[in-house]
Amino acid sequence: MSPDGNQGSGLGAFTGTSVKRVEDHRLLVGEGRYVADVVPDGCLHAAFVRSPFPHARITGIDTADAKRLPGVVTVVTGAEIEALTNPILPFLALPGLYTPLYHCLSSERVRFVGDPVAIVVASSRAIAEDAVELVDVTYEPLPGIGTLDAALDTASEPIWPKAKGNLLYDHTNDHGDVDAVFADADHVFTETFRCPRQSNQPMETRGILVEFSADGEITVRAATQAPHMLRWQLAAYARKESAAQAVKAFATNTERRTAFVDAAKSFFAERGEALQASDNTAMQTQMKTDPRTALQMMRTGAQLLGRDDYPHVTADDIGGGFGAKGSVAREEIAVAAVAFALGRSVSWIEDRMENLMDGGQAREEEMTLSIACDADGTIRGLDVDLVLDQGAYPGNPIGAPITVRIMEVMQPGAYRFEAFRQRSRIVTTNKGKYVAYRGPWANETWARERMVNVVARRLGISQTEIRRKNMYGDEDFPATMLTGPSLDVTCSVRKTLERAEELADLPGLDALRADAAARGKRLGIGFASYHEAAPGPPDYWESVNPGTSALLDQPATASVDTDGKIKIWTSQMPHGQSHETTYAQLAADQLGVGIDDIELVYGHTSRAPFDLLGTGGSRGGPVGGGAVRKVGRGLRAAVVAKAADMLEANVDDISIVDGNIHVAGVPARGLGYADLAARVVADGETVEGKDGTYAFNVEDTYTSAGDGGWSVATHVCWVEVDIETGLVDIPRYLVVEDCGPIINPAIVDGQARGGVAQGIGAVLYERAAYDDDANLQASTYMDYLIPTATEVPRIEVEHMETLSPGENDHRGVGEGGMIGAPAAITNAIEDALDVTVNEQYLPPTRILELAGVIEPD
Amino acid sequence: MKAPPFAYARPTTLDSALELLAGNDDAKVLAGGQSLLPVMNLRLGAPALLVDISRIPMLDRIVVDDDGAVTIGALVTHAAVEASPEIASHQPIVAAAAPHIGHRAIRNRGTCVGSIAHADPAAEMPAVCLATDAMMIATSTRGDRAIPAADFFTGFLETDLADDELLAAVRFPASPVGARGTVVEVARRHGDYALAGLACRLVFDGDTITDAALAYFGVGPHAQRVAPAEAALVGTSGDDDALDEAVRLVAATLDPPADVHGSANYRRHLAGVLCRRAVTELRSETGEAR
Repeated sequence: MSPDGNQGSGLGAFTGTSVKRVEDHRLLVGEGRYVADVVPDGCLHAAFVRSPFPHARITGIDTADAKRLPGVVTVVTGAEIEALTNPILPFLALPGLYTPLYHCLSSERVRFVGDPVAIVVASSRAIAEDAVELVDVTYEPLPGIGTLDAALDTASEPIWPKAKGNLLYDHTNDHGDVDAVFADADHVFTETFRCPRQSNQPMETRGILVEFSADGEITVRAATQAPHMLRWQLAAYARKESAAQAVKAFATNTERRTAFVDAAKSFFAERGEALQASDNTAMQTQMKTDPRTALQMMRTGAQLLGRDDYPHVTADDIGGGFGAKGSVAREEIAVAAVAFALGRSVSWIEDRMENLMDGGQAREEEMTLSIACDADGTIRGLDVDLVLDQGAYPGNPIGAPITVRIMEVMQPGAYRFEAFRQRSRIVTTNKGKYVAYRGPWANETWARERMVNVVARRLGISQTEIRRKNMYGDEDFPATMLTGPSLDVTCSVRKTLERAEELADLPGLDALRADAAARGKRLGIGFASYHEAAPGPPDYWESVNPGTSALLDQPATASVDTDGKIKIWTSQMPHGQSHETTYAQLAADQLGVGIDDIELVYGHTSRAPFDLLGTGGSRGGPVGGGAVRKVGRGLRAAVVAKAADMLEANVDDISIVDGNIHVAGVPARGLGYADLAARVVADGETVEGKDGTYAFNVEDTYTSAGDGGWSVATHVCWVEVDIETGLVDIPRYLVVEDCGPIINPAIVDGQARGGVAQGIGAVLYERAAYDDDANLQASTYMDYLIPTATEVPRIEVEHMETLSPGENDHRGVGEGGMIGAPAAITNAIEDALDVTVNEQYLPPTRILELAGVIEPD
Repeated sequence: MKAPPFAYARPTTLDSALELLAGNDDAKVLAGGQSLLPVMNLRLGAPALLVDISRIPMLDRIVVDDDGAVTIGALVTHAAVEASPEIASHQPIVAAAAPHIGHRAIRNRGTCVGSIAHADPAAEMPAVCLATDAMMIATSTRGDRAIPAADFFTGFLETDLADDELLAAVRFPASPVGARGTVVEVARRHGDYALAGLACRLVFDGDTITDAALAYFGVGPHAQRVAPAEAALVGTSGDDDALDEAVRLVAATLDPPADVHGSANYRRHLAGVLCRRAVTELRSETGEAR
């Protein structure tokens, strides 16, 4: 029994209960270990010289004074670092998209406020910052591209000269006969919705420590959601071998060469047909626009394959990421390259100003939606024109391209549209880079749920009636979205809507409105519903990015040490999601032991199973958890088989309760895991696994395409708007969610509430503000406001638990709160003010402008 | 976000502190550090010498005169002001301002006088000083001088203090008979600097306003009174007609800035709303004059 009272018993005892978080004690008493907590002897500290201009040519850079400052070890400029690093390459390219090649530091041109142009390494961060001020950079300013309109203007200064403009992608897909449906419908309504830039704001900023041990062994410690991705990128980009060296190394590394050739053979054997059918235009566009790409890819590939002694990456505790730490930072590559060159430990802990400039921004989209509908409220056609502002540099590896694909696939939502057209454009501007942010595609839900309310208002029907009338329900399943993914009973959006209507006490709404009016306030209510692929059906990711589903697979290992200790090994990288608790719940139930009997192994790339994506995409529960259940089941079978042998019983008669492995009904003659392990050792049956020898070791992979289903919710928000001050209160907020059977209800509640808090931030507080010339306006927490405990109301969470037809019922909840909240809140504000709301960000000034109380300046 | 190099001194007598200030062109006084240290960490300021006054005796006193005047020393924290029963009873407008200042942790270290010397345009205390005709007690090796609040705040983060002067105390004179005061503000989140704020003191004779002070913060380069609107209230009961005129004059007089948090029009509108709220609140107060 654990100190938290987490006691083991039979199968299924923990799953579904609010077991206390295993992580909490360590973190709350200050025993967490973050990257900033580790400072090896003699560690050096890095700081970056960053551009104060949105867009400029660098005509000179003088580092002499900085290098002379006592305590400074080196200063490396953008031009100099090109000798140490390879340029960063495109990943998951789209047909027609141009992805610029760029280095970790900029040399000839800067493209946003904060663009790093030199790295300073000194004996302390303070000295490094002093030296930064001594680096003399001469800039020749260029026009800053700060708006979508400026970026779409073909006469605007191209940020990436090879692109010949700032529109990098423009693609239209029709699903169904859009023109016919629009021509036939009674009404067509059109509105444009704008969402300004936001920023993922984890409590812990980014950070990396490249540590050299006394014997020269290198370990990279970082705040990363994806340690394997960081390891491979550092291997590819933070070192530079000549093409000849790289090819020679590959040719002479026979083991790796053979493995590569075998892997390639089996890859083509398995996918030959699909590859032949697949469209290679993505690479063709890229090569045509920037022929260097091919050479760089071959050279970097050969370098990667030539060696297998790359430094390992590890991470212990991480103070949040919300997607931003799934990116590999240019700064991380620069720090690693300089540390490798110096042969000394170097640490970079980002400060909050850097984080607000360059730590990752998101969501800046403008979407024009037209809905064709009939007079009776039947919604028929949807036409969307999306423009996404990816900022100056592409997200690496996840950014705008994959986001526009997910946005398109999910855009129709759970509505029975007859036809759908989406035009997607990606522009580049002089702003911080666009990265994945908790529900990266969320603005498809925001814009659609806003537009559905607009249609309801114009037709004079309620926001709940229009949803009920047009949403898929059980009677429709199986069904297929126009964009490809199939829908089954797990797409229970309408059920959550109906439950939300019951809980919302709509008949009492008039009384609430009157009460608010008596206090000089205007009350409004907003509904929003969505389904999200967490993980989604097998055809979901194939609809988003054909041929890449394998990237989403999750490996796991379950092992028993020779002394009986049980370990679960995951490729997930926890950074606040409670994996140590929920995976222990799943495994403990499989193995008939207590929570404390399970040790979760993660993080260090020498030990954690390989997976490029790490944690993200609400995959920890369904896919990572699915893998844990799969290997847990495998381990149980192996344990039971050995025990049956030892106890001379049939495997079907073996029971495991509280770690006692016994013949059912005869617990007194049971064995412990240690007994079993000792016997395996005695019998010479141990197996080799990662990092050691084990009594049992079960490795397996869970394919996210195999199982799953949808995670869904309806959000309801009540607002009271103070029409004198423009301040918005949220007296009540309700989430009705269905993520299937829940592993840990308290953790699911926390995910929902945290997501809603960020949605409240998006609408009322947070804006990564730039002026029209792309000068950053919010570089501290004085200007970038995050909702705190006093701004976030109590959030009611109601659970529905629809079983899926698949084998793994658990579905993801990491992102949903953030997906539903902006739409529910803005719909409520629209209801309160009785005007059309076209923006997502509604600070007090904008509220009073919309209400007609004040004029814009 | 590390401060640039600076020298640091922690004198234990007022005289030695004043000598340090007199002998260094580029010295800054450090008390609670809640404004100065962030400025340095952001490298927006780089004083060569910090004179830490935290070990100088007597500066942490709140002194109440027989007539109800209150003198607050340079080391008195916002939290101490907030908790002082003497200030609550004799200078309630000062007490009313304290809970609006930052968060508890900031009030535990930040000082009342430090906030006045820093003169942030959106800070509460400078406006309270203007509304109460407070006197700033500056001291240096050259001697002491008392500076009326009306002459003290000269620009954005600028005051009448000379480089060698330490703002040793602020003195709030005895409240006039019939005075009532309040501080109202609107911030985007609790504890943020105000989008607009008002320290309002009205002196009533029965139902009639005989003197009015409307001291705004967050709507210009420094805290400022709006004399035309004050004049419009004097001689009235603060009724709707008088308020309408005062609000009109507030809007006509103020020229607030726009920033990421609010437009100029919004702040101008808000200044009027605050005037209406403050006067209405003070009119409805009964019993003890404040």
